[in-house]
Amino acid sequence: MKTTLVLDPSSALTIVVAVLGLSILTVSLLYYALKSRRVRVTNVYLSGEPESVVSSVTPSISSMYWGFMKRFAKSLYRVLVEGVHTGSLHDWYRFLSSWLALLVLLAVIVFIASIIAGW
Amino acid sequence: MYLDVYVNALFSILVFPGTIFLVALAFFTQYLVRKLSARYQRRMGPSYVGPIGLLQPFYDFLKLLRAKEEVVNRFSMPRLAEFALIIGVSCIVSSVIFLPISLLNVATVFDVLIFFYLSSVMPLFAIVIASLSMPSPYTNIGVSRLLSLVTIAEPAYFASILVPVYLATRGDGLFMSISSTYVNFSRLYSNPITLAILALSIIGFTVSIQVKAMYPPFNIPEAEQEIIAGYETEFSGPLLALARLLHDLDLVIALVIGVYVLLGGPAPFNHLSPLGGLVLVLKYLILLLLVVTLKNIMGRYRIDQALVQVFKYGLIPPILAAILALVAP
Repeated sequence: MKTTLVLDPSSALTIVVAVLGLSILTVSLLYYALKSRRVRVTNVYLSGEPESVVSSVTPSISSMYWGFMKRFAKSLYRVLVEGVHTGSLHDWYRFLSSWLALLVLLAVIVFIASIIAGW
Repeated sequence: MYLDVYVNALFSILVFPGTIFLVALAFFTQYLVRKLSARYQRRMGPSYVGPIGLLQPFYDFLKLLRAKEEVVNRFSMPRLAEFALIIGVSCIVSSVIFLPISLLNVATVFDVLIFFYLSSVMPLFAIVIASLSMPSPYTNIGVSRLLSLVTIAEPAYFASILVPVYLATRGDGLFMSISSTYVNFSRLYSNPITLAILALSIIGFTVSIQVKAMYPPFNIPEAEQEIIAGYETEFSGPLLALARLLHDLDLVIALVIGVYVLLGGPAPFNHLSPLGGLVLVLKYLILLLLVVTLKNIMGRYRIDQALVQVFKYGLIPPILAAILALVAP
């Protein structure tokens, strides 16, 4: 028979932690009981190249960050970099008078109004 | 009363819909993915192991787990990788207690957030930690690509799940609860505005699930022929079996939650009726067919193209849906 427990969030979390513990125990027991014990040690696989072709085997945090920024976020910032931060006041004024700036202004006004009105 | 709760809890975690059922469903889903993909490519697909090849994924798993050796190098940390993957699998198994299908169904306000954390965030961390525990240059490129993609795909997946839950539970005592969403789902498809919002969420969900499963066109983190097997290059034997199981479970739980919050689960019937069960299975198969079809009709995007496409078709529709949901009557 199905049991539905309607709980407060902290009691629900307690149950989740207990269930998670039970799951970890079950999965670990099954895995370690069934897994093969044979181990073979080799060199790092580099398509036949020696290990000296790579300087580091783990990625640096900065390379992962810049990988994301250069590949994707660049297009997000392009508008600001090429449209606003050109050093020209005209470009800055043109951006501020565009629909995007009006939208931002409108969002700020609605946000402040919502706080004042207590929505 | 308490005995009932404990028995149901144990049965839910160990058998249905927990460990045994989820793992069996993961193998069956894997079978369907392989069989349907094969038919798209005019191949036979799994045919010999078990009736109509049904047991092929199970035997592949067993072969990796029992028969194959673990290959390590001097930089490997296989115990840490195993630990991370076991945590990932366990998190997915535990998340089922929030699903209405579970015999022990826990419901609370904002339980969708706990479910999302257990079923989506933790498995992703598990994969990343396990991959970085078995380092190689190919693994690092794969993980870097995976992290870049999920930076956009996870918010898209989250928003596409959150919007229908919000719409179905606003004004309800169990706000943002999966069980409450299932009970109130008829509200969503009886109103044309919420139906349109739901459609936007489904678009975002479909794209983000393709990224989560790392299926084409978003299979760049494991791009074969280019970076060997990407994030799973250094996995072998039992570790590879566990990593593949985690990947399949991740897809299964995403499809199941999609069926419940985007398609209404067994609605218009209930779980206990045979028709309800049939509708539930049909909706699961329809979502899976959609995923497999996209997998087979599209080629692989480069990482920069993939990021832009996920942003356009994965993130923008659910964000629009979220904005509309906030202003919808």
